[in-house]
Amino acid sequence: MGASAITGLARQGPTDFPGLIWTIVRTDFKARYHGTLGGFLWALLKPAAMFVVLLCVFSFIFASDPDYRLNLLIGLFLWDFFAESTKVGVLSLHAKGFLLSKSRFPRWIMVATSSSNALITLTVFSGSLFVLLASSHRMPGPLSWLLYAVYLLHLYLMALGISLASSVLFLRYRDLNQVWEVVTQAGFFLAPIVYPLDILPERFHRLLYAWPPTPVIQNVRAVLVAGTVPSLRAHALLTLLTCAILAVGVAVYRRQAPRAAEYL
Amino acid sequence: MSRGPAAIEVHGLRKSFSIPSVHRDTLRDHVLGLFRPRRFETLRVLDGVELEVARGETLAIMGRNGCGKSTLLKILCGIYRPDAGTVHVRGAVTPILELGLGWNPELDAIDNVLLIGTVMGLTLREARASIDSVLAFAELERFANLQLKHYSSGMASRLAYAIAFEAAREILILDEVFAVGDAGFRLRCEARYRELHARGHTVVLVSHEPRTVSTFCDRALLLEEGRVALSGTGPQVAEAYLARLAAERRDPAARTA
Repeated sequence: MGASAITGLARQGPTDFPGLIWTIVRTDFKARYHGTLGGFLWALLKPAAMFVVLLCVFSFIFASDPDYRLNLLIGLFLWDFFAESTKVGVLSLHAKGFLLSKSRFPRWIMVATSSSNALITLTVFSGSLFVLLASSHRMPGPLSWLLYAVYLLHLYLMALGISLASSVLFLRYRDLNQVWEVVTQAGFFLAPIVYPLDILPERFHRLLYAWPPTPVIQNVRAVLVAGTVPSLRAHALLTLLTCAILAVGVAVYRRQAPRAAEYL
Repeated sequence: MSRGPAAIEVHGLRKSFSIPSVHRDTLRDHVLGLFRPRRFETLRVLDGVELEVARGETLAIMGRNGCGKSTLLKILCGIYRPDAGTVHVRGAVTPILELGLGWNPELDAIDNVLLIGTVMGLTLREARASIDSVLAFAELERFANLQLKHYSSGMASRLAYAIAFEAAREILILDEVFAVGDAGFRLRCEARYRELHARGHTVVLVSHEPRTVSTFCDRALLLEEGRVALSGTGPQVAEAYLARLAAERRDPAARTA
């Protein structure tokens, strides 16, 4: 096999990237929620119903913890973002195959924008949380909200790293979405959502913190509910984990993406 | 015809696909088949293609199904990567490949025009401004708010050409142009094509239609088994293509010879 060279590709494809991204996000929202506010509110019912059910069951077990409800709510919505965006992320390239096999443009845009619907839900949740904390006179300071935003960014980047790798691999392994569904089902209980992390022996904590949603959920709870700032070491570990997942995701993506159109 | 460097230059282009004896596209198949090795057959689709398209020229590519036309177009558009050879594309390409596809079926015509228009290189503002003329060109104004999944394949291809003609940049790459729509639509396409040609756009098109090739193309190639078998004027190549098809009908063994 000889060498191949191809020049002139840099000038192909879209010129107006903000316009393209806005169009993708807007049409994804429209296709998903049938273009109505009612459709969007309907989608919020799923995590809300889950919250009510889990609250009924587990608040009896953890009745001694006054912050249990709030912690459960936060854990659940952060988890929902992670699970939803990675679930859509696996299929993101395949779902946009109609564009990928017909024109040339940076395909990772499809992966990066696939979590837009989950991001919108998370934004609505964050607004509700703000109102809830303000009305119960437990409003955290601006630094806490700033840290909250930083943790959400980490969660988004981790979900992006996973989606970058899984979306290109899905084109070759068409049951990867089912495998990921099993992983997330187990992962729901691996993350401290319905139970406080302290009930598990300390020696497991390090292992549990490697599961992406765990450090984010724990840090958010610390700044917004407990009113403490996690240690420098906790921040360093979170950043390290995010960078590692993103690096692996980008590496897998870059290896597979050039031939992606051939597997569509 | 030569005005500065060629718009497209291709040398020694090769592309093969590896076809497995058993197709495995799930993790389950791979795990279950761990101890049953597969044989791979190499399908050589392009085997040393040489071609050059001058700026402002229209080049037709003819050839039977499976001769490598679509693969060649996809490489020129940067969708597939070549195994070997060099490809220089000097200008922005607007592709229309495999007509009728390339839509999000859940969206209506307007949203699809905006989505595909921005992917093809229009700004969102230009894409918005073009909606009326695109729908008028395709005669689909009445169905502007209909989801694409309810469109017939003819309607969808008309819309595809309407957008591509609107978004056309320096180089147009067309698969089976003028093969869709009724006589009126075809006339509009031909008129629009002449306009683009007069403005100096470079066009590469694939066609099975001898009339299209003879009438519209400055030059034509006949592609056979991944190589350029003949290069000449439109009428010459169209005639040779028809002669080969006729010979094959008389003697089917000639195809494999």
